[in-house]
Amino acid sequence: MIEIENMGFSINGRPILSDVSLHLAPGDIYGLLGPNGAGKSTTIFILLGLLLRDRGAVKVLGSDPAVDSGDMRQFVGVMPEKAGFYDWMTPGDYLRWFTGLYAMPVSESRLNDLLGNVGLGDSMGRFIGNFSRGMKQRLAVARALATHPQILILDEPTNGLDPKGRKDIHDLLRAYADDHGAGILICTHILDDVDRLCNRIGILHRGRTLLDGPLADVTGRTTGGRLFRLRVEHSPSAGDLPEGLAIVSLRGGWLHVRVKPEFDQDVSVLWKEAIERGWFIREIHSEEAGLEELYLRTISSSETVRPENATWKQ
Amino acid sequence: METMTPVLAVAKMEGGRMLQSRRGLLWLTAYSAVLSAFALLLVSNTELSLLDNAQVVYMMAGAITAAGAMLSVILGCDAFAGEKERGTLVPLLCTPIKRDGLLMGKALGLLLNWVAMYVLALPYLWAVGASGQNLGPALLYLALFGTFVVLGFGYLAMYLSARTGSVMASLLGSLMILFLAASPLVIGPGLRASAVGRILDAVNPFAGALNTFDSVIIDSEPFTHQAGRLALVTLWLAITFLAARRGAGNPKF
Repeated sequence: MIEIENMGFSINGRPILSDVSLHLAPGDIYGLLGPNGAGKSTTIFILLGLLLRDRGAVKVLGSDPAVDSGDMRQFVGVMPEKAGFYDWMTPGDYLRWFTGLYAMPVSESRLNDLLGNVGLGDSMGRFIGNFSRGMKQRLAVARALATHPQILILDEPTNGLDPKGRKDIHDLLRAYADDHGAGILICTHILDDVDRLCNRIGILHRGRTLLDGPLADVTGRTTGGRLFRLRVEHSPSAGDLPEGLAIVSLRGGWLHVRVKPEFDQDVSVLWKEAIERGWFIREIHSEEAGLEELYLRTISSSETVRPENATWKQ
Repeated sequence: METMTPVLAVAKMEGGRMLQSRRGLLWLTAYSAVLSAFALLLVSNTELSLLDNAQVVYMMAGAITAAGAMLSVILGCDAFAGEKERGTLVPLLCTPIKRDGLLMGKALGLLLNWVAMYVLALPYLWAVGASGQNLGPALLYLALFGTFVVLGFGYLAMYLSARTGSVMASLLGSLMILFLAASPLVIGPGLRASAVGRILDAVNPFAGALNTFDSVIIDSEPFTHQAGRLALVTLWLAITFLAARRGAGNPKF
């Protein structure tokens, strides 16, 4: 749905983006992380054809946004960082007007559903100018969904929302991706959003993609392999270890093990082999490396590890 | 469900913002209050009431054009820079509407407001000019030249608004140009006859409209006499349209 390869962009000779790559497939929820000024919003604007890149290849729904972005935008729902509404309108009036810009009028029942889904069902008659920041964020999500987009691009979608509001938006986005096979690109600083929602992540820093890949792979492998803790009847000896597994420690009755990065099969193969070797495993818990740790390490240093399904750039 | 093209949706927003909002209604009320005061002065003031009927209609047509141009400058400055400052420009640019469509929608909205002002002015023009012979041509030429001038200033303001991204900067620039163009209204016939006045008249669309009103309403001259001035305001409109189109193609957001 979105393919960006080695994209660069500069303003008056000053490079803003130097090497950005990003891949979004149908059903994916992609979390684009990066500190302020990393180039996340600029990337979005280039995707939408509002800015023209200097180099690299960009395809959105099969077309190049620099050539013809108008038709492509018909199928893309966007939530910019600044919600941007006309204060003197009600949410119903606004959504009716906004869908008119897509020549896609919205029915009253659909309108009620949209506003109800984002928790604004009882605010239909209020002026947007009287809304709180969180209510405007919810309305912005409803606006992005109003035209049945194939791709959703959301810039900080849960900013200013309370925990319940965030969970509601998470559920709504996940359901939309599942039900419609839509691809969702989320730019955010909130790591918890990515942790809960995304199956792919990218980390952007100073206009470069440092990391782009499936979340499970990158979080599991950046610290030298996926971590698990096992409750076993007897501690196995080093000689009884299946190939691909390494013991990290034995603490509080738990055996902490690491799946080696080079082990490329399903992890259940390892447990099966361990049982065949006589291990009596009562419990298995995943202890994947935290996203925060991954993010901070990626930003602060150039990692040399290259997960198999992820792309690392030096 | 109401089906609406994207261009009409933008026009509806632009028109509705003035005609439905409190600020817009306040503007129209203030505008009719000024017209009322002007009309009252023209018919009741001892000296002004001695003016020829055609002269009164001419003055009022000039004032209406100036008010329309002023509103179009304000709306034009709001068209891109105002949207940017409110944070509503990016959501608008993210929609499938083409830039030419966006510009057309905004221009249509501006015209809607001008039409409202024109219609509101009709009873006043009738009140001061019904007893004369040139009210019909006055209304016709006000509709034609007034629309060209109003739209031209709107386009100019839209261009500055899109390029600067600042309401303040674009408003200052547009108003300065408008005041310079409207100077024939205030500098008087003596100065207009000077070399500078004549040059200003020759290139100034506002003067072109005023001179046409003068020619048609006061001197009762036919359309053939207005061809040069019509060409001037048309050229002005074309230049400002091209500028606005360029600005709308790449607005600061």
